[in-house]
Amino acid sequence: MDAFGDYVWPRATSELILLPVTGLECVGDRLLAGEGPDLLVYNLDFGGHLRMVKRVQNLLGHYLIHGFRVQPEPKGDLDSEAMIAVFGSKGLRVVKISWGQSHLRELWRSGLWNMSDWIWDARWLEGNVALALGHNSVVLYDPVIGCMLQDVPCTDRCTLSSACLIGDTWKELTIVAGAVSNELLVWYPATALPDNKPVAPDRRVSGHVGVIFSMSYLESKGLLATASEDRSVRIWKVGDLRVPGGRVQNIGHCFGHSARVWQVKLLENYLISAGEDCVCLVWSHEGEILQAFRGHQGRGIRAIAAHERQTWVITGGDDSGIRLWHLVGRGYPGLGVSSLSFKSPSRPGALKAVTLAGSWRVLAVTDVGGLYLYDLEVKCWEQLLEDNRFQSYCLLEAAPGPEGFGLCALANGEGLVKVVPINTPTAAVDQNLFQGKVHSLSWALRGYEELLLLASGPGGVVACLEISAAPTGKAIFVKERCRYLLPPSKQRWHTCSAFLPPGDFLVCGDRRGSVLLFPARPCLFKKPGVGPKAITAAEAPQAGSSSGGSESVVTGLGPVSSLHSLHGKQGVTSVTCHGGYVYSTGRDGSYYQLFVHGGRLQPVLRQKACRGMNWIAGLRMAPDGSMVVLGFHANEFVVWSPRSHEKLHIVNCGGGHRSWAFSDTEAAMAFAYLKDGDVMLYRALGGCIRPNVILREGLHGREITCVKRVGTVTLGPEFEVPNLEHPDSLEPGSEGPGLIDIVITGSEDTTVCVLALPTTTGAAHALTAVCNHISSVRALAVWGVGTPGGPQDSHPGLTAQVVSAGGRAEMHCFSLMITPDASTPSRLACHIMHLSSHRLDEYWDRQRNRHRMIKVDPETRYMSLAICELDSDRPGLGPGPLVAAACSDGAVRLFLLQDSGRILHLLAETFHHKRCVLKVHSFTHEAPNQRRRLILCSAATDGSIAFWDLTTAMDRGSTTLEPPAHPGLPYQMGTPCLTVQAHSCGVNSLHTLPTPEGHHLVASGSEDGSLHVFTLAVKMPELEEADGEAELVPQLCVLDEYSVPCAHAAHVTGIKILSPKLMVSASIDQRLTFWRLGNGEPTFMNSTVYHVPDVADMDCWPVNPEFGHRCALAGQGLEVYNWYD
Amino acid sequence: MGRTSKDKRDVYYRLAKEKGWRARSAFKLLQLDEEFQLFKGVKRAVDLCAAPGSWSQVLSQKVGGQSSGQVVAVDLQAMAPLPGVIQIQGDITQLSTAKEIIQHFEGCPADLVVCDGAPDVTGLHDVDEYMQAQLLLAALNIATHVLKPGGCFVAKIFRGRDVTLLYSQLRIFFSSVLCAKPKSSRNSSIEAFAVCQGYDPPEGFIPDLTRPLMNHSYETDFNQLHGPARVIVPFVTCGDLSAYDSDRTYSLDLDNGSEYKYTPPTQPPIAPPYQEACRLKKNGQLAKEFLPQECSIDRVDKLSQPLAIHTLLAPKVEDNEINCSS
Repeated sequence: MDAFGDYVWPRATSELILLPVTGLECVGDRLLAGEGPDLLVYNLDFGGHLRMVKRVQNLLGHYLIHGFRVQPEPKGDLDSEAMIAVFGSKGLRVVKISWGQSHLRELWRSGLWNMSDWIWDARWLEGNVALALGHNSVVLYDPVIGCMLQDVPCTDRCTLSSACLIGDTWKELTIVAGAVSNELLVWYPATALPDNKPVAPDRRVSGHVGVIFSMSYLESKGLLATASEDRSVRIWKVGDLRVPGGRVQNIGHCFGHSARVWQVKLLENYLISAGEDCVCLVWSHEGEILQAFRGHQGRGIRAIAAHERQTWVITGGDDSGIRLWHLVGRGYPGLGVSSLSFKSPSRPGALKAVTLAGSWRVLAVTDVGGLYLYDLEVKCWEQLLEDNRFQSYCLLEAAPGPEGFGLCALANGEGLVKVVPINTPTAAVDQNLFQGKVHSLSWALRGYEELLLLASGPGGVVACLEISAAPTGKAIFVKERCRYLLPPSKQRWHTCSAFLPPGDFLVCGDRRGSVLLFPARPCLFKKPGVGPKAITAAEAPQAGSSSGGSESVVTGLGPVSSLHSLHGKQGVTSVTCHGGYVYSTGRDGSYYQLFVHGGRLQPVLRQKACRGMNWIAGLRMAPDGSMVVLGFHANEFVVWSPRSHEKLHIVNCGGGHRSWAFSDTEAAMAFAYLKDGDVMLYRALGGCIRPNVILREGLHGREITCVKRVGTVTLGPEFEVPNLEHPDSLEPGSEGPGLIDIVITGSEDTTVCVLALPTTTGAAHALTAVCNHISSVRALAVWGVGTPGGPQDSHPGLTAQVVSAGGRAEMHCFSLMITPDASTPSRLACHIMHLSSHRLDEYWDRQRNRHRMIKVDPETRYMSLAICELDSDRPGLGPGPLVAAACSDGAVRLFLLQDSGRILHLLAETFHHKRCVLKVHSFTHEAPNQRRRLILCSAATDGSIAFWDLTTAMDRGSTTLEPPAHPGLPYQMGTPCLTVQAHSCGVNSLHTLPTPEGHHLVASGSEDGSLHVFTLAVKMPELEEADGEAELVPQLCVLDEYSVPCAHAAHVTGIKILSPKLMVSASIDQRLTFWRLGNGEPTFMNSTVYHVPDVADMDCWPVNPEFGHRCALAGQGLEVYNWYD
Repeated sequence: MGRTSKDKRDVYYRLAKEKGWRARSAFKLLQLDEEFQLFKGVKRAVDLCAAPGSWSQVLSQKVGGQSSGQVVAVDLQAMAPLPGVIQIQGDITQLSTAKEIIQHFEGCPADLVVCDGAPDVTGLHDVDEYMQAQLLLAALNIATHVLKPGGCFVAKIFRGRDVTLLYSQLRIFFSSVLCAKPKSSRNSSIEAFAVCQGYDPPEGFIPDLTRPLMNHSYETDFNQLHGPARVIVPFVTCGDLSAYDSDRTYSLDLDNGSEYKYTPPTQPPIAPPYQEACRLKKNGQLAKEFLPQECSIDRVDKLSQPLAIHTLLAPKVEDNEINCSS
């Protein structure tokens, strides 16, 4: 491995691994986590924060870590150093680490010992390690010198699925083995005769109806817990297992998981289990569920550890995330629902509406027009006023602000609005606004300077009232500022409003689902010379035209910009402005990020909340900068965190149709609702956020199907990239400007993730995730990479356009902008804007309306994408790039991207392959005195590669594309220029590179493990034979062709020609292999075993001469390699 | 996504249902036979890990159909009965199972042993690959007891990191080992089949089911972890070019003019391990955590039980009465 001698070869070394976390262990206040073959050591402090101290690299070679066992210290002192046995698969290594106050150092490591069979459990026995092996045998091993001391098999050599070793000496060693027959076998290795004859099992325990995946023994209480495939956890009373012949009694059979249970752990007072359903359950020993921790994504929780003194549980998931949870309580004091006992003979009438002024004052109104206040500190109800004009129909809204600004507003069915100062209700002001019913009320607050109340009346008229208080605080003034007019619809009223900073505009949502932008101070529009923000006056004639700008006209001012029906017919529920964006939520289960540019609203990104949460009621920005989503999930009110995928609060309130109110301050969050004729209040001290900690963010929950490098951001020293991970392993030369590679990944979990990979730290930062797909994402393509300020701008940053495609024939196009941001851990901020989307079935549906039933096949998957751009160095020329898609229905489809990706439409298709098309790739051919040619290659499951000339595809009068039989159908692509039968079965990777001779090297890798490399020559016919240049068709021919059968033992899913002399290939057999080209057949140079299984895609790129190349391998995890050129 | 969506995505799944096969894997064996003539002259065939029984169905047609042809199917789990197939519910790691097979063949060894078994995948790739290798080695181990010299052994393999170790082990017992992938097996799947012909155990080999076969480890010269020397056996694609493409999505009306009709699955699973958990979930009897509602902190305020009835009978409130807090 450490071959500095043959540096002439590229030698790939692993830089970063993101894999399922399969081993976790708490040692004192340190957490050991296994990630691939590496050991990560974290420090836990009392706040539950975690700091990575060190990555101890490559402990297990090509094995993955499945567990740690720390050698017990006779003195019980593990604070300064520890001897750790690390095991996984068939490998075992012991490492001694010193981790005193200041520094973590690896003192010594043993050899990597290979066992003959899988290691299910390990236990320290007086300096040696006992191992429970895959076919029900126990081995005693000296881990220092690496020799086997004992090897005792059981008489029943069945395959095990788990095992648990008990005892501290060989003599008392007990093994509980989980056999494939679903039984537990208890036996005693030390009872073997000196010749190590097989030992018969002492006891066989049956109960589970599936295999047992995990076991845990609690010596102090004589309990054993088992977790099984049958989705249950069983608790057994076993007494002292070290004593043969004891009675085993099943005392608990716990069903609570909705999928297989991977892990179980017994603590002194709790039982913890975690499984495939991504839930970690905390049970009492009596089998009641005390807590449920949800938040991991993907295929489940693989590892659990507990810090008993701090009562923490730490879980590691398949998503490579690590999370810390509080075992006792939900982590909050003062949490729960209480009834505020409104019903009383002294308070007549039934409750109609409730609201919250701050988190400690509840306001409620009855059907006899009584307004009541409940102060949580005083704990009693007080009547503020009674006004019988507000009986039968009454709206109630408290003003926003930390303590509700001390104001609330009432409105009735006859157009009357009453603004009430809560402390001095006698100073209430009435305003008669409309002839009919007030449909809705909402507040808008700008800092502490400007407070508006918006009231919707009949005919879509919204009255905007300006509220101000007298300096004495005893009186308030209500003045009508203007009237707005909503676009026509059946239910024509607004639902929410907010100031758009700095305050020139109001953003409103309406019942029809539209988001609207109104000028906050329309008077400024009449006198363009006034106000500093008169630039928006350009919008004035259009905006003011309907109202005529006169107060006497009944109608109002129309919106200057609107997004019609953004949230569908169920309506908009809230608008919030934060960080330069507008966020709107709706009852369509989504929330939008919007942005106002030049006085116009533009949608940026649509996001969905958790599954089943179809009624999103609002958003809150938490103090730590993260966002929480409020909404209703069936009959529950839920506070959901998109960052941690966690339901932070659940209140069984009966649904959102009744009157409710939410308020959240740093001190507490409160949710009030009406139920059973009373006011119920849910309160949690400490705000919305639960103190559960994400120790490490997860990446994708499921397999990564594609990876693509977008570009590099170079940050100057002023954005010093934090180097927490390797404080002492910095090699000289790795300082200097921070190079950060930006990589995007698509996954079966339907999301696209933007990752930052700094070259200096070996860490990965997930910048953002885009989740617009309804099915898996399988392919990504990038074009138009630039800098935010254009080519002349020297500021660091990156912009690019991305197309993603996948299952259900769905394609999305979005733009990416990366800018420096010193406030984030990655030192970068990522802005995403969704540009367009396309679905084949929608396309065909539209055609059906116009023509006749053609074809509806939404099951087509896009397998691969390629951007086909003739003049990528001259952007803006021509109609825009084409994107070619390989489709599972046997087609190659060409889409045209216009207006920088805002328009995406299907241009042409061909069913030439008649089989699932797996790969598409495009390249350009340049020759002196000739037009540049654009060539597309496509490859299918039958091993053939077809080449298409798309040079003139977009030219007028070109014959490249044949017109369709019916207008509206896509063009046909004709016949390919050349087809090459490269393999006997599916082509899983394809790449090309121009050669110095003016030809092209084409390399492909296949399902059968073979590689195929050939030289392609593009010849143009002599000019005199043709009339015009447009008619020239190039002739493609294969010059020399080489095949390497059995280059890999499985699918070759990644191939890249690095230079005309060098090629690299990656396969599902987990080898990254370099091949020498140029002297006839490709010859093997070297190969590296990597850790990511099922690699589906690879991308390689040169970083710079000092750093060499980087290579990202994506599959069930992500691994980054680098090599020097 | 309707019930037909899997029919569209997977043409062999659909064809299997239409032709009465218990699983789409029947086509894999048929296509392997097309390539290798596996059933030629076979009188006695053993199907290991047979459930749900699609390979046994193929064997009973191709072998059991001939005069004096016998098929024995072995599985740990119960399997719905099949005409012409003798079923043994037993463990392939037990000697008694091997003896029972021979007994059914009246003392004669088998001509063909097939194994399409795969463990329930856990999603942890290294565990799954190990478990699959153990299953194959257990099948090989019992095959050494029941297979006649020159006989043929076909087993499913996962082509993962350590598949070359399995190849080198199979080469010890068979004169010809090939890796075959039928067209009905998807490109996206790492599954393939080891087709081992000419059973020829090394001299002095004594079959012993009491000792499990351990898989090989990497050697420095013969089968390297990092280096170029690896045992990669030739790869053969089976099934003719006109065969359906398992990766392709077909429209429901196939080219042969037959009209599509939805067919329900032939044989649903019998008694899966999760049956009880599913029943409890269906009846809402899974244990649930305490929601904070039920542990009110404010003891002064009285809280009645959750008001489930009122929730159900909640009056239909007009939309304009929704109180949207801000």
